[in-house]
Amino acid sequence: MLNYRDLDWRIISAALFLSMIGILLIMSAQHYADSAYSQSFYLRQSLWLLIALVAFAVVIHLPLRLFDVSAYLFFGITLSLLVLVLLVGSSRMGATRWFSFGPINLAPSDVAKLAVVLALSRFFAYTKLPPASKRRLAFTAILTLIPVMLILKQPDLGTSLVFWIILFALWFWSGLSPVYLILILSPLASLVAASHWLAWALYFAVLLTFLFLSRPGMLFSVLVVVTNLAFGAITPYIWNRMADYQKLRMLTFLDPGRDPRGAGYQIIQSKIAIGSGGVWGKGLLSGSQTRLDFLPERHTDFIFSVLGEEFGLWGSLLVIMLFGVIFYRAIRIATRCRSRFASNVVVGAAAVLLFQFFVNIGMTLGFMPVTGLALPFLSYGGTSLVLTWALIGLIVSADYRWQEY
Amino acid sequence: MPLSTLSLKYRQATALLIVLGLLLVIVGWLVKLQILNYRELAEQSENNRIRVQPLVAGRGVVYDREGRIIIDNRPSFTVSVVASEAVRDTTIPNLAAVIGLDTSVVQKRLRKNLVNRYQPAPIVRDVPFEIVAVIEEQAGRFPGVSIQMEEVRRYTPGLGSECFTGHVGEVSEEERRREGAVGYRLGSIIGKKGLEKHHDALLRGREGTAYIEVTASGQSRGLYEGKAPTPAVAGADLVLTIDNDLQRECVAALGEYCCGAIVAMDPRSGEILAMTSYPGFDANIFSTVIPESLWQSIMQDTTHPLLNRPISGLYPPASTTKLLTIGAALEEGMISANTTLKPCYGGLQFGNRYFRCWKPAGHGSLNAVGAIEQSCDVYLYQVGLKLGIDLLSQYFDKCGFGHVTGIALPGEEDGLNPNSEYYDKRYGKKKWSRGLVLNNAIGQGEILVTPLQLAQFFCGLVNDGIVYRPRLIKSIQFPGGQQVIPSRQMVRKLPFSSGTLELLLEGLRLVVEGEHGTARGLKNNLYSLGGKTGTAENPHGDNHSWFVGVAPMERPEIVVCAVVENAGHGSEVAAPTVKRIIDVYMNKKMNPQPVAGLSHAEGN
Repeated sequence: MLNYRDLDWRIISAALFLSMIGILLIMSAQHYADSAYSQSFYLRQSLWLLIALVAFAVVIHLPLRLFDVSAYLFFGITLSLLVLVLLVGSSRMGATRWFSFGPINLAPSDVAKLAVVLALSRFFAYTKLPPASKRRLAFTAILTLIPVMLILKQPDLGTSLVFWIILFALWFWSGLSPVYLILILSPLASLVAASHWLAWALYFAVLLTFLFLSRPGMLFSVLVVVTNLAFGAITPYIWNRMADYQKLRMLTFLDPGRDPRGAGYQIIQSKIAIGSGGVWGKGLLSGSQTRLDFLPERHTDFIFSVLGEEFGLWGSLLVIMLFGVIFYRAIRIATRCRSRFASNVVVGAAAVLLFQFFVNIGMTLGFMPVTGLALPFLSYGGTSLVLTWALIGLIVSADYRWQEY
Repeated sequence: MPLSTLSLKYRQATALLIVLGLLLVIVGWLVKLQILNYRELAEQSENNRIRVQPLVAGRGVVYDREGRIIIDNRPSFTVSVVASEAVRDTTIPNLAAVIGLDTSVVQKRLRKNLVNRYQPAPIVRDVPFEIVAVIEEQAGRFPGVSIQMEEVRRYTPGLGSECFTGHVGEVSEEERRREGAVGYRLGSIIGKKGLEKHHDALLRGREGTAYIEVTASGQSRGLYEGKAPTPAVAGADLVLTIDNDLQRECVAALGEYCCGAIVAMDPRSGEILAMTSYPGFDANIFSTVIPESLWQSIMQDTTHPLLNRPISGLYPPASTTKLLTIGAALEEGMISANTTLKPCYGGLQFGNRYFRCWKPAGHGSLNAVGAIEQSCDVYLYQVGLKLGIDLLSQYFDKCGFGHVTGIALPGEEDGLNPNSEYYDKRYGKKKWSRGLVLNNAIGQGEILVTPLQLAQFFCGLVNDGIVYRPRLIKSIQFPGGQQVIPSRQMVRKLPFSSGTLELLLEGLRLVVEGEHGTARGLKNNLYSLGGKTGTAENPHGDNHSWFVGVAPMERPEIVVCAVVENAGHGSEVAAPTVKRIIDVYMNKKMNPQPVAGLSHAEGN
C-alpha cells in the first residue's frame, strides 16, 4: 500500500481544483442551453471526473517499472488503434477521430499522447547514443512521425503538433543543446519568412550567422541550409495542398476581421467575452456572451472565455496560477527523479499539458490560431479528462518513487 | 559551451524559464484585453446583446366634426434587417426571394435605412401575413431579419379628402436635415402633404425606446434590465370641421364630370365643411411602398389627380367676381342702386374692338342688382371703365385676391391680381390697352383665383363683410385628455359698407329667385338659396363652370363654391352641383340625426 501522506498533494489539489472549476464553467456555459441534454453536460463531466480519478488511482498504485517495460507494447497497440479508427471510426464535421460506444466517444489520439510519452521516455532512458547523434535524432523522429501521420490522416493538425512537442521536450531534457533545437525548427521559420523574398533573404543571413557561431558540424549545417531552402521554396506548394478549413484558419488567425461568421467570428466573440469580463468578471451565469450564444464551442474549446467573462482577470489568474503550480512541480520532480525513465515521463507529460494549455488559451485570447486543442482539466470531454489525470498520475507516481532507479 | 552535455541544473532553469515566459505571455494578453481594452470590449459586448428597439407612438386619429373617422391606423408587419446579424450571401438573397423583390432593391433599401449595424433597418412595410409566417417559421434561413408590428395610416375611402389630409411617407434625408426636425430616424413616418404635414408634430407624438436583450441568433430574451425603456407618447387626435356627409356628396356630385373642385365653408367662423379635389387619388398607396407602375400611371394621368385644386388650382373667377366690381363702383359712388348705364344690345364697342355680352340678344336696360341677377357683361364693362384698372385691382386686393387665405395647409397658391404695374412689367409701359379693364371687370383676362379664395370672399359678403381665416381644426384632443379648441380668426373686413353689402346680397338672392336669374333653376320651396354663376373662358378647351351658393339667405350658414373644369355654363353644371351639397346640409339641419361622439370614445 502507498503511504498517502507522501504523495505530492500540491499537484493533486491543483488538478482537483482545476477540474472542479471546469465543471462549474461547463454548467455555466450550458445553463441556458435549449436542450436538457446540453444542460446536463456538467453532470456528465462530473461522472467523467470520477472515472478520471479512478484512472489516476490505478496509475499511482501501479509500479512505474510496469509502464517502462510495457511502453513499446502499449505504443504498438495504440498505433493499431489509430489505424482502426480511420477504418471504422465515426465521423463528425469531416474528421474521423472517434470510436463510438453508444453515447461515449473515445478518441485514440488522446491515448496516443500517453503512448508516445512512454515510448520516447523509454528510448531516451536507455539509449547509449550521444544526444546530438544523427541516428538518435532520426530514430526518435521516425518514431514520432508514425502516429503523427496517422493523426494527420484523420485529419487533426492541432493534435499532431502535440507529438512533436513531446519529442522536442525530451530531446532537450535528455541533453540535446537548444542550439540544435533551434536549427531543427528553423525550416518552419523559413516557411513563414518565405512569404516575401526580402524577409527570406534577411532570415537566411541570420541563419547562416547563427550556424557559423555555433558550429554544430559540417553535415548538420548543410542539412539545415538545404531543408531551409526547401521549405521556403515549397511554401506555395504546401499552401495549395492545405484543406480549405486549414487555410481559413491560417488566414483568420492572421486577420480575424476577414470573416466575422467564420473562424474569425469565434476569435472576435471570445476576445469580447474575455475583455468585457474586466478585472472582476460578470459573475457566474451572468456572462452575456456565454448566456446569449455569442460564444461558440463555449463548453469545449472556448471554456477559458467563459472563465474570463464571468470571473474576470482574478479568475483567469487563479487558473493560470494553478497550472503554474503543476508545471513548476513537474519540473522539480523531473529534476529530482533518479530514474531517467521517470524523469522523462514527467517532462513528456508536462510538455503535453503545457502545450495544450498555451495553445488553447492563446487561441481564446486571439494570439494563437484556432486548432481545436482542448484546455486540460477545464474543457468538456471525457477521454481528455481521463488522459489528463493519467498524466498527473504518472507525475505523482514518479515523485512518490523518486528514489527508485 | 559543450553542445552535447548540459547540466541538470541548466536544463531545469531553462525549463522553468520557458514555463514562466509562456505564463507571462498569457498574463500579458489577459491584462491587455481585460484592463487596457476593457471599455471597448465591454461596449462591444453590450452592443452584441442589446438591441435598441424604437417604440413607435400611435399617430393621431383624425375625425370629422361628428366624430366619424377620416384617418386612422391599422396594424401591419414590417420586415427589417439588423446588419450586424445578417450573414453575407444568405440573409439578403433569401429575404429578397421570399418578399419578391430584387436583391439589389433590398440592398439599396438596407443602405438607405441603416442607422447602425445593431438597429433594425426597415426593408418592406405592410408585408402580408403569409410571408411573415414563412420568415418566422424558417428563422434560420433569415439570420438578422426581424419583424415589427407597425401601424399603417388608413384613409377612409370615398371621402375625397386627400386634398386636405395629405398623406404620409418615409422621412427623406432632406427632411431629416431640415432645421427643427427632431426625433426622426431613418425609416420614420412623416407627413408629406396636407394636414399630415402641417400638423405632423401634433399627430406623430413622441417615439419611445426599448432595450431588448437578444441572443447571437437574434432571438429576443425580453427587456434588458439595465436600462429602463422610455415610453412612447401617442400623437394628438384631430377633430376636423369637415362633415363626412358633405364630403361624400362632393365626390358624388363631381363624379359626374371630368374634374373640378368644391369648397364648402361656414361663413360665420371660416370652418371648412367640405373640400375636395376631383379626381383625387387613394392616399393609402403612400402608406407603404408605391409600385413604380402605379406611380407612373398617376403622374401621367391627364386629369392631374395630384393637383390640389381647392388651394392650388388657379382659375379665372369669371362672373363670380362681378359682385366685387359692382360693389367697388357703389363704394366709390360711381353708380348707385338705380343707376342704369347704356342698355345692353349684346355687346359694347370699345375703341376698335367689340366686347360681346354672354347673351347675344342683350339684356336691355338694367340697374346694378339686375346686372348681378342676369350677369350682364355690358353693364360690367361700363362699370369697369369707370373704375379703371388700378382702382378695380385695389378692390380685388382688399377682398383678399392675390393673397393666400392662410389655411393651415402647405402648398397654397396666392393667385394673380393684375394692376397697371403688372401690365407695364408684362407688356412694357404704354404698350397695353386700357380695354384690359373690361376683361377684369367680368373676372376674365389675367385674374386668377383659387376656389378657396373665392369661397372665402363670398363668406365675407354674407357675413357682414367680416372675413375669417379658413380652418380645418375644430379641436385637438391630446392623449392626456386635454383638448384645445382653436378660435375663429378674422383676417379682414371687406371694403364695402352695409348698404352696399345689402344690395349685393339682394343680387345673390335674385340670381336664384329672380325671374331672370342665371341660376333660377335652383329655386326651391324648402329653403332660400342665393349664389352667383360664372363661366370662365378657357383657351385650352371648354369653359370652366363656376357657381358659389349661399344658404339660407336670411341668415347664411353655408357657402359652397364649385368649379367644374371644361364643363360649360355655370348655371348648367356648377350650380346644380353646389345645390346637391347645400341640399345635404339643409336636410341635416332640418331633420337632425343624433350625433354620435368620437368613434374612439364609443369603444371606451
